[in-house]
Amino acid sequence: MADTLIKSLALLNTKAPYSNTAGKDALDIALIFGSFEQKVSLFFQGDGVWQLMAGQNGSIISVKDYLKTFAAFEFYDIDTIYVCQTSLTQRNLPANFHIEQVQVLNQQAFAQQLTLHQTILRF
Amino acid sequence: MYNFSCTIFRNKTVNKLAVMITTPPYSNLSVTALDYIETALKNGVELIGVFFYQDGVLHADAHVQIASDEFQAISHWRKLHQAYKLPLYLCITAAEKRGISDEQTQNISPIFTISGLGELVELSTMADRLVQF
Amino acid sequence: MATLHIVRQSAYNTDDFAQCLQVLNTNDVIVFIDDGCYNLQHSLLNTIESSKNIQLQVITQHASARAVSINDAIFTKITMDDLVSLTFENDRVITWQ
Repeated sequence: MADTLIKSLALLNTKAPYSNTAGKDALDIALIFGSFEQKVSLFFQGDGVWQLMAGQNGSIISVKDYLKTFAAFEFYDIDTIYVCQTSLTQRNLPANFHIEQVQVLNQQAFAQQLTLHQTILRF
Repeated sequence: MYNFSCTIFRNKTVNKLAVMITTPPYSNLSVTALDYIETALKNGVELIGVFFYQDGVLHADAHVQIASDEFQAISHWRKLHQAYKLPLYLCITAAEKRGISDEQTQNISPIFTISGLGELVELSTMADRLVQF
Repeated sequence: MATLHIVRQSAYNTDDFAQCLQVLNTNDVIVFIDDGCYNLQHSLLNTIESSKNIQLQVITQHASARAVSINDAIFTKITMDDLVSLTFENDRVITWQ
């Protein structure tokens, strides 16, 4: 029968924030799972790391700044947020994020953390 | 129907599947998704539901017209829904953004159940595997 | 505790396959389907450490339709039925699309 382990969801974010809705679509899933008290973790890889960078302002280009909602994660008990060091390095980005609690993981640790989740959805 | 799960999964019955569709009906990626789903159903996998999100919601638009000599994704969903009572859940927020509504436009194909992301939580809780296509 | 990776895009077009390779763990399975079949000759394949014991599989139909030849020494040819069983034989699935 279904495993008795606590199920958890990993959302793997791989797109930059402003040119498509992938990041927002993943965020909506994260908040719903959080509000149903389901365990959810966020992973940022590839261009997804841009969603975390400090100093962005979507309003300059008339894009609704959904990134501001990331500040609400603590109210949804979303406190496992991981970013891939390799992706930051490839883009010459510092670990300067617009939310706290982000953990920078090397490639191996990032891969390991993913395996702690039963379901992985990628956006 | 023969039960695939007993033979390949031996003593553990891990065969509850849910699928999330994010590709539109005019994409060939949908052909593969439908093939995967139909294969699972034929092999006795317990498919507890398909959730349509992002551009996947376009499968529910009754106004979509695909040339008759091209792959008919929407009629395939109808067949699977009828043959296997397969639940097809539509994320209404994603649908309305794309002009699909049960109110103003009334263009939702009746085989779809209007729902929201809460249904995805439910599917994820019930299923042994939730696979994205 | 293995993961099934379903690769659906060409690495000549997107970064998906490169990202997939970044998160591989020992005994994971990669299945190439759809345009993922275009990766069968990609140089990224050479970056997979043999110690990780990664299985590489291809849906034969998807490769044949694209006139992509499959090197039997490297790839296992499978069908959609096999992909369905792999879904349950592995602990989790990531779709790279």
